[in-house]
Amino acid sequence: MLILTRKLGEAINIGGEIKVIILDMKGSSVRIGVEAPRNITVHRSEIYELIHEQNRQAAMMPEITLAEIMGHLQKEG
Amino acid sequence: MKINTTRFGEIDVPKEEFILMKGSILGFERLSRFVLLIKDDKTPLWWLQAVDDPAVAFAVINPRTINRDYNPPFYESDLEFLDIKNKDDAALLAIVTIRSQPFRVTVNLRAPLLINAANRMANQIILDDPAYHVQYDVRDYRVDFQTAMTGEAKGVERLAKQASAPPT
Repeated sequence: MLILTRKLGEAINIGGEIKVIILDMKGSSVRIGVEAPRNITVHRSEIYELIHEQNRQAAMMPEITLAEIMGHLQKEG
Repeated sequence: MKINTTRFGEIDVPKEEFILMKGSILGFERLSRFVLLIKDDKTPLWWLQAVDDPAVAFAVINPRTINRDYNPPFYESDLEFLDIKNKDDAALLAIVTIRSQPFRVTVNLRAPLLINAANRMANQIILDDPAYHVQYDVRDYRVDFQTAMTGEAKGVERLAKQASAPPT
């Protein structure tokens, strides 16, 4: 991993199109600005990983038909 | 085009009905072509079958059938990315997770699929507001079939009209 030290207001460039700027520091929090093209999505890592995992679970559907699922839901509902 | 699927066997869906991921379903970046399979207008759960991997099929639902007030704010950049010029072309589908033991159904309202019903380009967007749950539990579910099909959402309605029925 590349490690760089930056001061408030300083930035780093990643490739030609992505810029990460240190906007503010307060206690143990750092505010970061990210400039990136629209086709690059930027998310907090924890939410990204959460959605990733949820998608993986959703793709592992048990052997069940839609009719069975609907039956379950309506019985419980 | 003939598509091999684990769940439905071989299905034949015209290419015009493909939904193309311009972005991606996170974790499934390699899959960019999907087809929407809708059994009938009484079944609010639909299938989003991957064209290029027989084993991958997501159950999806119009999120407004779960919560009529579901109307999350879009980023302009999300709309621009898919070239959505008219809000009525924006269709949202939520991915459903089904577990069998014990039986539990949850809907991901935090990261819906945004689809441009006009050009059929799609992307999974992530909403900033944590009030939209990743695992929204579907327990007390009374199906409003009218909403299921249209959801008072013109984009979804339009999308649903260009879908095939899965073989039964």
